[in-house]
Amino acid sequence: MNVMIAATSAGFTDMLRDTAETFGWNPWLFLSQVISFAIVAFLLRRFAYKPILAVLEDRRRRIEEGLLNAEKIKKELAEAQKRYAEILAEANADAQKMIDEARESSAHLAERKQQEAIGAAEQIIAKAREAAALEHERTMESMKRELGRLVVETTAKVTGKVLTSEDQRRLQEEALRQLA
Amino acid sequence: MQYCFFSRLSLPIFALFCGCFFATSTFGAEVEPAVPLKPAELVHIGKFAITNSMLVTWIVAAGIIVFAQLATREIKAIPSGAQNFWEWLVESLYNFLESIIGRELVRKTFWFFATIFIFILFVNWFGLIPGVGTIGWGHHDASGVFHVDRPLLRGGNADLNMTTAMAAIFFLLWIIWAIQANGVGGFLLHIFGPKGETSGFLKVIMVVIFFMVGWLEVVSILFRPISLSFRLFGNIYAGESILEAMSTMVPALSWLIPIPFYFMEVLVGVVQALVFMLLTAVFTLLIAKHEPGHEPQH
Repeated sequence: MNVMIAATSAGFTDMLRDTAETFGWNPWLFLSQVISFAIVAFLLRRFAYKPILAVLEDRRRRIEEGLLNAEKIKKELAEAQKRYAEILAEANADAQKMIDEARESSAHLAERKQQEAIGAAEQIIAKAREAAALEHERTMESMKRELGRLVVETTAKVTGKVLTSEDQRRLQEEALRQLA
Repeated sequence: MQYCFFSRLSLPIFALFCGCFFATSTFGAEVEPAVPLKPAELVHIGKFAITNSMLVTWIVAAGIIVFAQLATREIKAIPSGAQNFWEWLVESLYNFLESIIGRELVRKTFWFFATIFIFILFVNWFGLIPGVGTIGWGHHDASGVFHVDRPLLRGGNADLNMTTAMAAIFFLLWIIWAIQANGVGGFLLHIFGPKGETSGFLKVIMVVIFFMVGWLEVVSILFRPISLSFRLFGNIYAGESILEAMSTMVPALSWLIPIPFYFMEVLVGVVQALVFMLLTAVFTLLIAKHEPGHEPQH
């Protein structure tokens, strides 16, 4: 059994050696390539990918920040709009209240002014009536005096007599009595 | 579940053994391949060597770094030109990987998967440039035709040492990421622990079954680097061989016949880079994600 395993193992090792020899694989060339590829990979990482990955990472970070800022601004805008709507509603309510108060106040004022105007007009009318009555009385007095004088003068001219003061007084009273 | 593990395990083993058998039997019969399987060593530093495939990987890496540096030299808020292209490539890759392995994991592992994809892709495409594999040191044959014995450049992924190196580094990183995500205990529980909600005697049976299945999983995990490296190497090497064969089949039409195959190889270059990256990413995701009841033990 052990001989078989040893023979198989030796055969496998020979086959591996033959395969490696055929394909030109040898440990020193392999190690040379390992070192070479390790250096190449390190250099590529350091000089080829790192700068562009830094740029891409920076851009990605900026985009993320931009998106976060946009989201924040959107929220703030929504809040501002909400606040604006609330303030507007409040202002509308206040304005409506003020308008109502002003309307009510103006109605009262108008009523008072109207009453005052009516009062003033009535006073003016009363004064005018009073003045007109006085004028009428004064006119009537003047007319009466003129009419008495005319009656006396006419009577004196028609009769051709000189009338006494008594006659004149009597004629004037008679004329006034008839006129009244 | 057991069938799944057997099936997953059997495929790479079968492929590996078939490949080994084919390779050893074919080339053992001394049939010289048109494109050599081995990379040419250009310079020796002790026991280490700089090969023509390694030189290609350095040229490509230098090209990528220079382009990336030029593209990001003056960063603009609204990108254009090279910056735009580089941003598009890296960002598309990042988003693609993020959709597969998640945000947290991609932050940690992106550099490696990006390297895998971009590097493999451009190394594959670089291998298609005329001159790669055909310029170098060689000899004239009896008829005076020049044959290149030691090409100056070779497709990076047409070298098994290169693909196994990438797979080995991934394997090491995979273990590190797995332990970072699960802790040592969680990592072992992830592999050997029972899945699903059971209780009583059934739970005992499930513990035993999943413990045994865990060993199959271990073998499957150990074969991952082999399957990853052989898949990439096989596809790229096969592509180079096809191009070589098409170029030499009818010498008078050597400029025309390979053209459709060039387009195919451009596609293969993308597909293989994508497959390598996706497999490594999915392997990482599978070990790093936490199943219910398997909480991380940091």
